[in-house]
Amino acid sequence: MEERRYRSASGVPIALRCLQHSASCRELAVRCPRLQLRSLSAVTSAVWLAAYGLFVLSENSMVLSAAIFFSLIGLIIYLHFVKIDQESLLVIGSLGIQVTSSYASGKESTTFIEMGRVKDVVINEAIHMQKVIYYLCILLQDPGDPQGVSEVVPLFQSSKPRLDCLIEVYKSCQEILEQTKTAPQSN
Amino acid sequence: ENSPAPLPERAIYGFALFLGSWFGFILYLIWAYVPETWLFSLGLTYWPQKYWAVALPAYLLVAVGIGYVLLFGINMMSTAPLNSTHTVTDNYAKKQQQKKFQEEAIPALRDIPISEVNRMFFLSEK
Repeated sequence: MEERRYRSASGVPIALRCLQHSASCRELAVRCPRLQLRSLSAVTSAVWLAAYGLFVLSENSMVLSAAIFFSLIGLIIYLHFVKIDQESLLVIGSLGIQVTSSYASGKESTTFIEMGRVKDVVINEAIHMQKVIYYLCILLQDPGDPQGVSEVVPLFQSSKPRLDCLIEVYKSCQEILEQTKTAPQSN
Repeated sequence: ENSPAPLPERAIYGFALFLGSWFGFILYLIWAYVPETWLFSLGLTYWPQKYWAVALPAYLLVAVGIGYVLLFGINMMSTAPLNSTHTVTDNYAKKQQQKKFQEEAIPALRDIPISEVNRMFFLSEK
């Protein structure tokens, strides 16, 4: 259960943890850094200073209470819907792949893709916000065409690991997927 | 037949455009600067309002500035999102035919599927 440190595409440090539950089941979790106290206090002070400036200009004390209320609500919404703490990938050979995102407020959202729909797990490159990034994605099989790809499911969207971390995850997944593809289909 | 080399017809078109643009510019200057009474005394009464002599260049300059922003935005909108199959394949790659492998010949050009490319890049480093 070792944890290796890598960097994300924007430079923040992230940590990758590989757990091998059995010969055909592996869990790979990428942990993002927690919300920093200095950035939280910087944003809060900026918002409250701006509200105080508005209060001085408009002599209306509702501005101050509105600023406090909105900064609290904004923080709760950010922690519950935006700030992702950990993204994990659970690959169970011959069963499927489960993708979990845990948010900073404790919420977890899970997606399961059964192995029959999975064509391959690949590292793809694409243009994203004036940068070209590498990202891991699951290619889903097109039911009508054995060579075709019907959908692309990108993984680790908010932590965006760099290529060295992605290669580790890719090699892990490919070991299990090879076992699944070469084992005789029992359906 | 479609070469960009200079031809007599192209020279004539160019000269006609040159004269036309000079004529248009001098006409615009006359309309903008000569007082209305002088133009009326000549009998030329059906002109657009002089407001447009300033408004049209202003509109054009703002349109050019917005054009920069618009082009940037259109580029961003037409970039394929990360979850679209256009990042992996396209119509030409789906419909390509497999050519037979010949000994001692350079293999034919084709679009290699992304799984194969990934295996070659990341799995064969032993």
